[in-house]
Amino acid sequence: MRIKLLLFFLLIQFFGFSLLAQERTISGKVTSKEDGQGLPGVNVVVQGTTRGTATDLDGNFVIPLGSEDNALSFSFIGYKSQVVSIGTQTTINIVLESEATNLQELVVVGYGVQRKSDLTGAISVVKESELTKIPNFNAVQSLQGKVAGLQVFNSSGAPGASPVVRVRGVGTFNNASPIYVVDGVILDDISFLNSGDIQSMEVLKDASATAIYGARGANGVIIVTTKQGKIGQDTQVISVNSEYSVQQLNKQISMLNGRQFATVYNQILPGTFNNLDLLPNTNWQSLIFRQAPMQSYQVSVSGSNAKSQYYFGVSYYNQQGIVPKSSYERVTLKFNNTHILSKHLKVGNNITVTPFQQQTSPDVVSQAYRAQPTAFPYYPDSSTFGAVRNVGNPLASLAYSNNFNKGIRMVGNVFGEVNFLKDFVFRSSFGVDLQYNKSNNFTPAYIVYYSDGTPSQQQNLFSDLSKGSSDSETWLWENTVTYNKKIGDHHLNLLGGYTMQQTTNEYINIQGSNLIRNGADLLYLNNPSYFYNQTTSPPINNLGNIGNGVDPNNYYSMMSFLFRGNYNYQDKYLLTVSYRRDGSSKFTPTNRFGNFPSAAIGWNIINEEFMQTLPAISNLKIRGSWGLIGNEKINYLQQYSTITSNGTTSPVLGVNNSVNSGATFGVSGNPDLKWETTQQTDIGLEIGFFSGKLTGEFDYFRRQTNDILVGLQPAGYFGNGSGSRITYNAGSVLNKGLEFNVAWQDEFHGVRYRVAFLGNTLHNEVLTVAGNKGIDSTLVGGYLADGRAVTLSRKGMPIGEFYGYKTNGIFQNAAELAAYPHDASAGVGDLRFVDTNKDSKINASDRVAMGSPIPTLIYGFSFQVGYKNFDLSADLQGQRGNVIFNAKEVVRPDPYNFESHVNNYWRGEGTSNTEPRPSFGGYNYNVSDRFIQSASYMRLRSLTLSYSLPKTLAKKIAMNQAKVYLRGTNLFTFSKFTGYTPDFGSSDVLANNMDTGTYPVPKIYSMGLNLTF
Amino acid sequence: MKVRPLKISFGILSLTFVLLLDACQNFLDKNPQGQLTQASFPTTSNDALSATIAAYASLRIWAYHSGGYPLLDIMSDDARKGSNPADQLPTVGPYDNFTMNTSQDGLDRWWSTLYQCIRATNVVIIYVPTISMAPEIQTRYIAEAKFLRALFYFDLVRAWGNVPLVTVEPAPLALKQSTAAETYSLIISDLTFAIQNLPEKSSYATSDYGRATKGAAKSILAKVYLFQHDYANAAAIATEVINSGQYSLEPNFADASGQNGYNGVESIFEVGALPVEDPNGGGCQYANTQGIRGSPNRGWGFNRPTIDLRDSFEPNDPRMDATIIFLGEVLDGVITLGDNTTPDALYDANNNLIEIECYNQKIWVPGISTPEEWGYHKRIIRYADVLLIAAEALNESGQSAQALPYLNQVRARARAGNNAILPDITTTDMTQLRAIILNERRHELAMEGHRFWDLVRTGNAGSVLGPLGFIVGKHELLPIPQTQIDISKGVLVQNSNW
Repeated sequence: MRIKLLLFFLLIQFFGFSLLAQERTISGKVTSKEDGQGLPGVNVVVQGTTRGTATDLDGNFVIPLGSEDNALSFSFIGYKSQVVSIGTQTTINIVLESEATNLQELVVVGYGVQRKSDLTGAISVVKESELTKIPNFNAVQSLQGKVAGLQVFNSSGAPGASPVVRVRGVGTFNNASPIYVVDGVILDDISFLNSGDIQSMEVLKDASATAIYGARGANGVIIVTTKQGKIGQDTQVISVNSEYSVQQLNKQISMLNGRQFATVYNQILPGTFNNLDLLPNTNWQSLIFRQAPMQSYQVSVSGSNAKSQYYFGVSYYNQQGIVPKSSYERVTLKFNNTHILSKHLKVGNNITVTPFQQQTSPDVVSQAYRAQPTAFPYYPDSSTFGAVRNVGNPLASLAYSNNFNKGIRMVGNVFGEVNFLKDFVFRSSFGVDLQYNKSNNFTPAYIVYYSDGTPSQQQNLFSDLSKGSSDSETWLWENTVTYNKKIGDHHLNLLGGYTMQQTTNEYINIQGSNLIRNGADLLYLNNPSYFYNQTTSPPINNLGNIGNGVDPNNYYSMMSFLFRGNYNYQDKYLLTVSYRRDGSSKFTPTNRFGNFPSAAIGWNIINEEFMQTLPAISNLKIRGSWGLIGNEKINYLQQYSTITSNGTTSPVLGVNNSVNSGATFGVSGNPDLKWETTQQTDIGLEIGFFSGKLTGEFDYFRRQTNDILVGLQPAGYFGNGSGSRITYNAGSVLNKGLEFNVAWQDEFHGVRYRVAFLGNTLHNEVLTVAGNKGIDSTLVGGYLADGRAVTLSRKGMPIGEFYGYKTNGIFQNAAELAAYPHDASAGVGDLRFVDTNKDSKINASDRVAMGSPIPTLIYGFSFQVGYKNFDLSADLQGQRGNVIFNAKEVVRPDPYNFESHVNNYWRGEGTSNTEPRPSFGGYNYNVSDRFIQSASYMRLRSLTLSYSLPKTLAKKIAMNQAKVYLRGTNLFTFSKFTGYTPDFGSSDVLANNMDTGTYPVPKIYSMGLNLTF
Repeated sequence: MKVRPLKISFGILSLTFVLLLDACQNFLDKNPQGQLTQASFPTTSNDALSATIAAYASLRIWAYHSGGYPLLDIMSDDARKGSNPADQLPTVGPYDNFTMNTSQDGLDRWWSTLYQCIRATNVVIIYVPTISMAPEIQTRYIAEAKFLRALFYFDLVRAWGNVPLVTVEPAPLALKQSTAAETYSLIISDLTFAIQNLPEKSSYATSDYGRATKGAAKSILAKVYLFQHDYANAAAIATEVINSGQYSLEPNFADASGQNGYNGVESIFEVGALPVEDPNGGGCQYANTQGIRGSPNRGWGFNRPTIDLRDSFEPNDPRMDATIIFLGEVLDGVITLGDNTTPDALYDANNNLIEIECYNQKIWVPGISTPEEWGYHKRIIRYADVLLIAAEALNESGQSAQALPYLNQVRARARAGNNAILPDITTTDMTQLRAIILNERRHELAMEGHRFWDLVRTGNAGSVLGPLGFIVGKHELLPIPQTQIDISKGVLVQNSNW
């Protein structure tokens, strides 16, 4: 199957050109009435079809015609559209008249394209120039602060870590990520794409826009359109881009130094450190972070002739991490082609092939945070690693770590379009997403010794090797019929279709130990031996555990029917209805199908005659939408109650200690599961003044998700085992807010400038976490490494609200301790927890809400100034209203280093009312508001200064464009947070904004060059 | 090239609809890969065997053993938390001085795991009767499962008192707690069924050792009666075990709990395990949790014998040295150096010695690394325990003289031929003998998880553990885990004074 698919794609690739048949074409030039210059980028569409092109830099176009084509329409932002009948002409030259009020920009929507003025839904468009404004591994990173209603944050700063994306808040307790539609292929992730290959990204936000994606649209849809050769280009365009960056740590976390740490330690266990002057003073952070390079290079060739368009791009991305032994390297090959075979038939393909390689460092960031500063990194006068009690030496962890994975991903589709009966177009598209991954982790045998020569617990007696191999195959077949008809003032566009999709996968993992030697040539396992006697050494090259199965999150099939109707009267009154029916294998047959309808209306007030009297207003439109959308991102096994049969269900019996294999009931499933459904209402206003110099777009949204699929802990007596969960349709969540996007652009004495401000407010509230008695009605989450929970999602609170004790000073003396209710383990000098329920006891029921991880305001500013050949741009983005839980500080089973504020510890009555007497852990490290910090921040996301060679000069050296730039990314962050960066989060919505020792997001300095030939 | 667009379109459309109709049948059916569902298991006699066998595997789950950490010893006067002073201080430490709270680490883990164990037995008890198979084997499987279910409920009822009683699968929603009496009644009926239908140890093939026997069921039942203060029944059943001829004392005291006595004459019911550091590979972490910390590196070093336990032994009782590993002690040629981060001796503010670094020797197995400890076989009940149950029950029934031979058997083995120590007990004063037997249990069964419940059962917890923080009327039972009360929305009622 796989090989056949590959051959099919290759055939399309190589033989596509020879299939071309000659047809009639028409060409011409579009000029501006104002200055007579050629107008680039004008949309030229064959009337009554969706076939079209855009004019080149000089305003020229060429478009192939069928015999029934009789008119061309020309449209361009800020200009009045024109429709010209073709007749027998072969050349048409057009002069367009400026009219800032007519926004004719085309926007990609689900299963089609619409004029921006015809949209009834809330869709934000981000163009290619914005997508390469920061050095990024995943194009989504460049959307941060660029789209109202979109939150992008980093789960980690490690190379190759995917950002977390939320559209209009957090609408579910489980996977709240949007879906991506890359050239029609529905995906969960676009990290395989090179940003330079992307033409535009459209973020579909409201129900009118997303309901056509039915069961998968509830958390937003991001449509990615990759680049294509533009019809009408008479020459090839070759473009070369290169960028080199240096990354570094933004700031260090302020920790106790050696002497301070020993002093605090002596306070807890007197006499531990005797001579404070002879202690080492190791700054572990300085030892594990480094400056690291990041490079990106791209060459692309695009062009077209009368019948074909093509784009070919090859790019290379290499990011070394600011922690050693972490890196990500990727090559992206992009092939996009479209061929017009006859006036009725068009075929094409969009294919991306991406081999990549990644190295992952061990978690030395939290190790360095915890490591005692009084430990040696290396013993003096030797190069052997010093032992670090309780946490191990981070440098040794790095030295012995070898974690690699590599793989190849191919995403693409082939499609054919047939137009028939004049107004109908049938399109069939077959897409695939093929992924192959391999991992290889090796740890040599080693022991880190204490200075007295005894071994520390940081040791690995026998070398370990584990290997993994996984593959995942998705295919998606979509068939649609479009009917497009304009009769007088009535314009009708109908779409109907049906799609099928299937995803399967499999993995094999093996683990073994005791390799005969270390060394790349010897990393293989070949000596199977189960249950060997571990009291002696394992066999050489021993092959231990083997695992084989499917990833249950990535194993499903879907079948869908879809319909959409757009009606437009006189470009003034707009109506959109859509409906999708989805069937999913994740539910039992009775609940398998879900229905997702939507309806929307729009009024282009600007096109009303009475608006002519208000020339200052250049655009005015209101729109409203309502719809139901779904989410089904659970693993396919949740409906099933399974049987467990493995080593844990197999007892050891008999005098010879034999393993007898047993099997018993595993975790219970829930056969009654069904879709979770989001109901979303949106009201939008678009407005423009002064010929489009000032524009604004405002949306109010309200999304309520019901029947949320959520894993709840059933009663322990169900016997599912400690900590296990069952998925239920339980709970509903509300998100509402206001989105705004205001921009001003003008030119002043040759200085071009643009200022924009966008963002959204957000109110997130859990309406219910229902469920019958016997199922948890509050949703506990955010588990720390020691099992304590930090978040509680319940009625009236935001999802993932932090939950713990409220502190109120410190017990200054015994009388005060006696006077207040307190925990049995509290003493003088300890934190005072508030008896919030006034029952004169301090216990778990005194815990209260401590703040939300979800911001109430997300915003972005952008400034651009250009003068002659220089351009300066700055982007700021930020958030307000949420908090971070400093989880890394709370988990203290052992004596770790402390953050520097501990130095101000309580030393006796009146010495401190915030910093308790020192302890290694325990009472004062209960989950309390002591560890809550503000997550509000504003960051200079990017600052770019560029210089373009004057066009005349560039032409002399055979170039169209030559640009050099200097860029800083994440240069400044204004924040009170004591950790590395306030901008992080988790894909687990119940464990968001908990800093467990996250790999920091670096500051980046870049230099780049863009050339176009 | 001649193209007929209409024909192509309709061609593809009709093809897709043909495929669609076909697809509707099964395209959306995705069965679990590599796993059976509960709808199809257990249905064969082989399944019945697998399900029965699996119920025994529950005994290897770490949290089955008092939630993972040896809380029962730590809560008694025999042991302190152990490990290095800071290790698990906030999580396990509070059990040392009864400052634990209703959401203390370990509570929910033990509770939920015991019910997980119970579920595996209910699968057998409920579904095996529906399978068509040889009736004799079928009944034995059910009897084995009932034995195990009784064992698990016995832990639940002793730890928490009123607990939900699950005898159906799946368990109903909003199940209320049963009284301790109701739970004991199920335990007794399960054990009675097991006694009637299980073979004696000698009737099993040696490859089946580790499975439930008539003797094991009787031994547990005797203990259940003892906990209910039903001394007549306790004495009768314990005496049946003694007279069955199936068991005897190991000549060497160390073998009663040690490696040489695995599946031996004194072992009535034990948990088999392999020396593999992985529960999935046959290992059991019970002993690793308590193994020597540091050098040799045998484990985490929890459950540190107290100075009080050390000093409580009668003069020269060899069991003291066989119960505690002291620093510098050489075992099997390996010297115990202990842990760097643990002080050799700990003093309180008034300079009183409160703890010395030492380890539980009952779980010690020869070797120098951690995996061996994973292969340790924990004895759930051994013959010495049954002898002492018989002695206690007889004494409490007014038959003190009949109690003496059983008590003295245990002492005789302990003295290992040295007649200068541990003289035979001769008193028949019921009160005196009661105290002597309780003390004998402490020394014979130290660090094996019995002491705390013995003190509670005999009403001595207040006086003995009071100085450690034990509050009478509160600490006899653990608090119902807060999570479980929250989940039940208050259907589960917290124990008194928590």
